[in-house]
Amino acid sequence: MNKGYQSLFKEGKDLNKKSSVERSARTIEEINEKIRNGDVQVLSVSEMKELVESSGVQVAFKDVDVITTGTFGAMCSSGAVINIGHADPPIKIEKAWINDVPVSHPGAAVDLYIGATQMSETQPFEYGGGHVIEDLIKGKEVELRATAYGTDCYPRTKLEVTLTKDDLNQFQMLNFRNGYQRYACATNGRDETIYTYMGKLLPKYRNSTYSGSGELNPLSNDPDYETIGLGTRIFLNGGVGYVIGEGTQHSPGNGFGTIMVKGDAKAMDPKFIRGATFTNYGTTLYNGIGIPIPILNEGIVHKVAVRDEDIYTNIVDYGVPRRDRPTLGTVNYKTLKSGRVTIDDRSVKVSSVSSLKKAYAISETLKEWIAEGRFYLTAPIERQPTDSVANPMRKPKGLAFVEDVVHDAVTCTEDEEIEEVARRLINRNINHLVVVDAEGKLSGIVTSWDVTKSIANGKGALSDFIVREVHSASLNEPLETALRRMTEHNISALPVTDGEGRVTGIVTSEDISKLLGGGRFG
Amino acid sequence: MAASVRVILRFSKENVDRPITSQVILEQGTPVNILSARMNQQGGEILVEIDADHVEGVIKAFRERGVTVDVRRLIEKDDDKCVDCGACVSICPMDALTFDDDHSVILLEDRCNGVTCGLCVDTCPQRAIRLIG
Repeated sequence: MNKGYQSLFKEGKDLNKKSSVERSARTIEEINEKIRNGDVQVLSVSEMKELVESSGVQVAFKDVDVITTGTFGAMCSSGAVINIGHADPPIKIEKAWINDVPVSHPGAAVDLYIGATQMSETQPFEYGGGHVIEDLIKGKEVELRATAYGTDCYPRTKLEVTLTKDDLNQFQMLNFRNGYQRYACATNGRDETIYTYMGKLLPKYRNSTYSGSGELNPLSNDPDYETIGLGTRIFLNGGVGYVIGEGTQHSPGNGFGTIMVKGDAKAMDPKFIRGATFTNYGTTLYNGIGIPIPILNEGIVHKVAVRDEDIYTNIVDYGVPRRDRPTLGTVNYKTLKSGRVTIDDRSVKVSSVSSLKKAYAISETLKEWIAEGRFYLTAPIERQPTDSVANPMRKPKGLAFVEDVVHDAVTCTEDEEIEEVARRLINRNINHLVVVDAEGKLSGIVTSWDVTKSIANGKGALSDFIVREVHSASLNEPLETALRRMTEHNISALPVTDGEGRVTGIVTSEDISKLLGGGRFG
Repeated sequence: MAASVRVILRFSKENVDRPITSQVILEQGTPVNILSARMNQQGGEILVEIDADHVEGVIKAFRERGVTVDVRRLIEKDDDKCVDCGACVSICPMDALTFDDDHSVILLEDRCNGVTCGLCVDTCPQRAIRLIG
């Protein structure tokens, strides 16, 4: 069963037919027939796990036709395609805003895409594309503004109109990456609070967050994509949607599979779709996804029996602003749901940023739909890859890290004479001297301005004007964060230190400005 | 400790340097447990816990000395906006925001430090939590 999609299609295997190899099996058509007759046996995924544990795989296979999964969480790669119809005179929209949120214009005159993370130009970080979609689904009126350069066939250059979802010809959710199979547990090793898409993370591992519904997640229950693929009908945000293929960054080879989905937003339920905002990160959209898994054979029963204790993820330090953030350990979803994880030998509070309550509600709602004959199953018409791994970006042009611009620091020690220090500043034609102790560790900084001032005032001792609370940088830190720290504290240089506080160099705003002057980081 | 009530005491520039809390404790003969405080010479506020049986007397004693006593709710959670995600749960140092057995996020007001803490407010992706007072 664990084959890539290409080999599968070479063999021309049809998922909708009984396999002669299987000792016993049922087909999606048989299940749909039972849904039609009102005697389908449908369980929520949690009920199924309990049944397998109490009665075994064979009984569960015999008794159950289909199970329902669920997940509800922030999914940034989401949005909606809308068509607003033509105005008279018509316009070929160049730029558009709904409730001051820029909505991109990828194609013809009046097609727009409302991206979940686009933020309002008047209320940034509080209201965004996700909120626009939620407001439209709720039936609220929204304000659309648009501009255009005007053409012979589309003369209009300006447009202002109030719309509701009833005015839209199409209002289709089109989400590029949803339903992550699992996600990392986030924490923060820095000595300051950070704000991330995983929520607010307190300093020094004082809290941690995770996302996903674990054993309820659709993809965790079909890790080989036997029943979930292009064409699978799903519960999407309280309405009906479809899987339209692998999601972007689909990475099933390391357990981070995703799906791309679409669905008619006009029929969605605001109970299961919400705009959201993560402070200092931006806006996003919570989507609710439920996928039925037909119990076609005993192999599938084994897979849907997976429990939270079998689904592992990494604890990751989001305090390190790099692509490959350090992993501090592994943890399973049972522990995550318990509210406490162990980080650095300490017990740390952990909570989700997705909603388990909603995930259960989605699984239950889809179960009702199937039991009541309102929802029929489809087989995927194309399987998605089962063993691919998403690649990182090719190395971008230019310089990105402190190590790209760092140079040797000229140092002094606290007991040196001020004249000696002044001479060194002049001879080396620099403005900053890094003060180090006997072990070469950072103990302060002295600027040419400080030295000038002290000589002018007739003050003699170097130790009187050393700045001792020094902000520093590390070699593998992005230039942007170093620059931000300099701006924040109104300083012009950061000594660079290693993990033990030993000075390994210095980076100055002058160095960075020179690079910025020639384009973004050269 | 028997049932207790949390109130916020607000001090002004005029009374912040007087030992009012100690006077009230001695006069009323009951502990006034200081949970958190934010004070400087310009005034400030203290969150205290008072034995429920003595709460009326203690509040009256503070008010007589010119201290503003706030007994309103500290933090309000809008349950219609809340999606029970739990982003606020791990951040709450008092375990006042926690999961119920049915996975709902609930606010236990008797544990909440209110305006002297407020860590949860900008944590909420639904902006369902706000400080009162």
